[in-house]
Amino acid sequence: MPQLPFDTVLIANRGEIAARIVKTLRKLGLRSAIAYHEIDARTPAVSMADLAIQISGSTPIASYLDTRQIIAAADQARAGALHPGYGLLSENAEFARAVTDAGIAFIGPLPDTIELMGDKIRARNFVQSNGFPVAPCVIEEDDPATFASRAQAMGAPLLVKPSAGGGGKGMRIVRDLNTLEAAIEQARSEAGRYFGDARLYAERHLEYPRHIEVQVLGDCLGNLVHLFERECSVQRRFQKIIEETPSPALSQESRARICDTAVRIARAANYRNAGTVEFLLSGDDFYFLEMNTRLQVEHPVTEMITGVDLVAEQIYAAAGRELAFSQSDIVSNGHAIELRLYAEAPECGYAPTTGKVLLLEYPNDVRIDSGIIQGQHITPAFDPMLAKIIVHSPSRMESALKAHRAVRELVLLGCETNANLLARIVSDEAFLGGHFHVGYLEQNPHLASGIFAAGMSAFLASAALLTRPVRDSADAVPELHSALGNWRN
Amino acid sequence: MYHSFEVDGVDYTLWLSASRHGYRLHLRDEVIAPVAFTQRSDSSGILTIAGQSEPVRFVIDGELIHLHIRGRTRTLRYIDPLRTHAAGNSGTCPLVARAPMPGMVVAITVSPGDSVSAGTALMMIESMKLETIIRSPQDGIVERIHVKENESFEHDAVLVTLSKEGF
Amino acid sequence: MQRIGSAADVDSQEFRRNDLHNRQLAAELKERQRLARFDRPEKDFERLRRQDKLFVRNRIAALLDPETPFLELSTLAANKAYNGEVPGAAQVVGIGIVAGREVIVHADDSSVKSGAWYPLSVKKIVRALDIAIENRLPVVHLCDCAGGFLPLQAEFFADRYHAGRILRNQSILSKVGVPQVAIVMGHCTAAGAYVPALSEYNIVVEGTGAIFLGGPPVVKAATGEQVSAQELGGALMHTSVSGTSDYFATSELHAIAIARNVVARFHQPAKTCIDRVAPEPPAYDASELYGIIPKDARAQFDMREIIARLVDGSRFDEYQPRYATSLVCGFARLYGYQVGIVANNGVLFGDSALKGAHFIQICDKNRTPLLFLQNVTGFMVGREYERRGITKDGAKLIMTVSGASVPKFTIICNSSHGAGTYAMSGRAFDPRFVFSWPNSQISAMGAEQAAGVLTHVKARQLARTGGRLSEQELAGIREPVLEEYRERSSAYYATSELWDDGILDPIDTRTALAIALSASLNAPIDAPQYGVFRL
Repeated sequence: MPQLPFDTVLIANRGEIAARIVKTLRKLGLRSAIAYHEIDARTPAVSMADLAIQISGSTPIASYLDTRQIIAAADQARAGALHPGYGLLSENAEFARAVTDAGIAFIGPLPDTIELMGDKIRARNFVQSNGFPVAPCVIEEDDPATFASRAQAMGAPLLVKPSAGGGGKGMRIVRDLNTLEAAIEQARSEAGRYFGDARLYAERHLEYPRHIEVQVLGDCLGNLVHLFERECSVQRRFQKIIEETPSPALSQESRARICDTAVRIARAANYRNAGTVEFLLSGDDFYFLEMNTRLQVEHPVTEMITGVDLVAEQIYAAAGRELAFSQSDIVSNGHAIELRLYAEAPECGYAPTTGKVLLLEYPNDVRIDSGIIQGQHITPAFDPMLAKIIVHSPSRMESALKAHRAVRELVLLGCETNANLLARIVSDEAFLGGHFHVGYLEQNPHLASGIFAAGMSAFLASAALLTRPVRDSADAVPELHSALGNWRN
Repeated sequence: MYHSFEVDGVDYTLWLSASRHGYRLHLRDEVIAPVAFTQRSDSSGILTIAGQSEPVRFVIDGELIHLHIRGRTRTLRYIDPLRTHAAGNSGTCPLVARAPMPGMVVAITVSPGDSVSAGTALMMIESMKLETIIRSPQDGIVERIHVKENESFEHDAVLVTLSKEGF
Repeated sequence: MQRIGSAADVDSQEFRRNDLHNRQLAAELKERQRLARFDRPEKDFERLRRQDKLFVRNRIAALLDPETPFLELSTLAANKAYNGEVPGAAQVVGIGIVAGREVIVHADDSSVKSGAWYPLSVKKIVRALDIAIENRLPVVHLCDCAGGFLPLQAEFFADRYHAGRILRNQSILSKVGVPQVAIVMGHCTAAGAYVPALSEYNIVVEGTGAIFLGGPPVVKAATGEQVSAQELGGALMHTSVSGTSDYFATSELHAIAIARNVVARFHQPAKTCIDRVAPEPPAYDASELYGIIPKDARAQFDMREIIARLVDGSRFDEYQPRYATSLVCGFARLYGYQVGIVANNGVLFGDSALKGAHFIQICDKNRTPLLFLQNVTGFMVGREYERRGITKDGAKLIMTVSGASVPKFTIICNSSHGAGTYAMSGRAFDPRFVFSWPNSQISAMGAEQAAGVLTHVKARQLARTGGRLSEQELAGIREPVLEEYRERSSAYYATSELWDDGILDPIDTRTALAIALSASLNAPIDAPQYGVFRL
């Protein structure tokens, strides 16, 4: 196989995804460089990378969004390619263009494709005009003055969303139209801050659909394949916490239909590199939701069942290589589940938590994509995702069991996480039966509540026995009096 | 005076007593005996409770005891009676607005010296990708603002100190 | 050691009659104790709530280590005095465990007369501090007292064992190295101000606690100065200006937490070591005591039946079992501690006195604490006995009882009369603790006997003036005499006057004795001066 046109790749990201990219770069014999903010100095990605270049900014996020510094870092590292990971600058067409202009290969689709598909409104119009199904919506840009009244006319429930971005940021459900104005204001403000783009649109909110997405992969020669779907309906606050593939909701026939639709949408967009087409599934109908022109957080489940290293494929595609396989070569093998470990307190409305990782032990024989190490401080500066646990088994039931065991074996002390919630979900009857939708956690608040008094005594006993004042006061009591107990005359 | 531990905002009172065969754990409505803990390393041990052995992973960090037992993780805070009871009714505590969760300051809407009434917006914070307005807990005058815009803070951090009007 | 073979027939008429009677007495005791402890007019509880004060029982509960025993002493003090209006003499005293230490708890009960000191309150406090001195027990004072009850000052102010003795005892305790901590939860005025001041440590509760020699009204009257209680002697002033107090507490529970912390730091000298093995419960059920203690106080019973239900494994190693059988002596174990038991099985004769005196010397030399089980109507009288020198023999018993340096414990099981009361380690002989059973009677002479004597004297006086009394008239004299005599020789009267340290339900005796015994070992045992004389 011919040599790749670059030997060094700059990773413009952080956390678990940066570490995961380093692993593939190593495997491919490429040098890894990472641009990092001081706050991440002790994270695994920074220590694993061959070269780490510090960048700075008014806030940690601001530094990771600073195009100029990142391109400077790529130059410094003599990087011939740049991997943007997910989030941050990954779907910023300007950035992709600046990278390309600097003579660096951008590992992702063409900037124009990002522009087209990364903007939700544009993408939606494009998809609709190509004859694919979309949910009803009103777009602010069409006539900003009447946006609110047009949204009002569509009726509740509706969803106010930023035109740019993703990951649930700035999204608001409006069930009472009296709160519409306030929701628009807040969504606008958040969208402005996160994406530097305050444009909004409002969409009919399907109460309890499933979220199904399809992984696609294309090369620069126009070859395009799908790598099956991912089921991402277990969500809180529009953010996925458990993903799996295959989806328990799809028949062979509907699976073929949705995957085929995704490939056709990608083809219409002249898509190259890895991307994801997201759909809402309601009954047998599905609507195009959006396309993510980048690697997804949950890409590992696809890797597990197909055996394809998506990051490697991204790099090959960016290097101009032809896809090494055709659609018929890709077979789905078994079932994979990913659990996202978050620093958050599900019982307190998923409020983010902070702390220092005092003890960290991962389970054996499962895949862990981790962005943290023992001793690290978890701060509120970034997204609270800490690590992903990915399991793969012949069947869905075995995967769920394995996931349950793995998340219970995972030890992370010092910062509260959603591990207990994850364990409860993967052993919940509705989840095991495959009967769930995006409103699943909302409808089953008991899963998130911390009131599981059973087993509390083991915690109290351990704490009591490990706390010197408690043990000392027990030891101080003379044997006779201890034996007599709470005697009164 | 019982010992107490706080878990997720709930106080559990307990007492440990020694017996010929290990310790007895006295909880509000039950006694569990014997209980014992054998430390295996700095962060692991075996809890024996009601005849069963449970491996325990733990870290003690000041008054916080982080525990992982049977796949569940919990953090318990030992409540030092000297400190808790002292905090009781001292009326000299200044009025403060605290952070209800960790986050970052988006905008500050008051300045020191401003007079505010209960419910006045003091600042907008951003947490969990949502904006939240921090409001004055009481009438008073803004004495000090402890954070700057774009600055991040931890849960329970003091954001604004107020003084009472006329004091 | 031999296990006592009980001869009690639990199915007998007599056993069941006794059982019913004694269970009723025990229930009555519990009810009287409950009333003395908890029965207060709602307005008094309301006042405490208004003052932000805890009820004394809750204060003590918070002070003590949970799941540890509390041996309350003289719960029914003053139950026959002051028209019954001062339950417990407005004091709570007991032996409890604080931060693992055996301590005396002394608490003013401000739900009763605002905690004012009555003459019997003073007697109860002095006794508590005597116990502390004799047994070297640290003291926790929970001070909340309105001051002395002035109308009765003549009965508690000036004499040797009056209120001054409290301060003297505190000083002596300190001198012998036994620390005290006082929590000021109310006003400590005049002599009361010295209670915290004479304690090694004291803590004042902000707002409610204050220490001053003269309160605001006294200051106003004396000098015209207007000053608030907190300014005059509050927590802030004493902890930051005068240095009279050590710790400032923001609440009663805070103060109690501080006190527990202070007690935890007290030096704890090694306890006196006496022969001890692992404890063993008695082979017979303690509740059978109810069927053994006779309903009629004059009925004889075998004290070994009592011993069998008090001591470990019911094992009793009897000393001189064939000699002077009206006094049972021997060794046993109580919660593992070896004790020497001296118990009455009838009237004391000369030989019983000699046997007892000899046995006490052995125990003293052997560092074996002594347990006296009283059921004694006195020494035998009559020409024959006087000629054999019963007084001389009795003097030997009294001499050894007085002189023994091992701890002594006395239980008044049934009758306690005459010189028998003394020779069997009565209150005057400084046993570490004296407890009574509810059925017991204590007096110079038995009631029937005394009424007979008194009636006889009256009749003789009348006869001198030529009168002669009919049977009916004699009975008319006899009945009221007998009634008053009975009343004043009852366990309730004795405990009201603090002749004992409290009435025990018989089934609690074993545990109470264990706590007392353990407490007593905080004090060293002096070696006897002489060898053992065979008498």
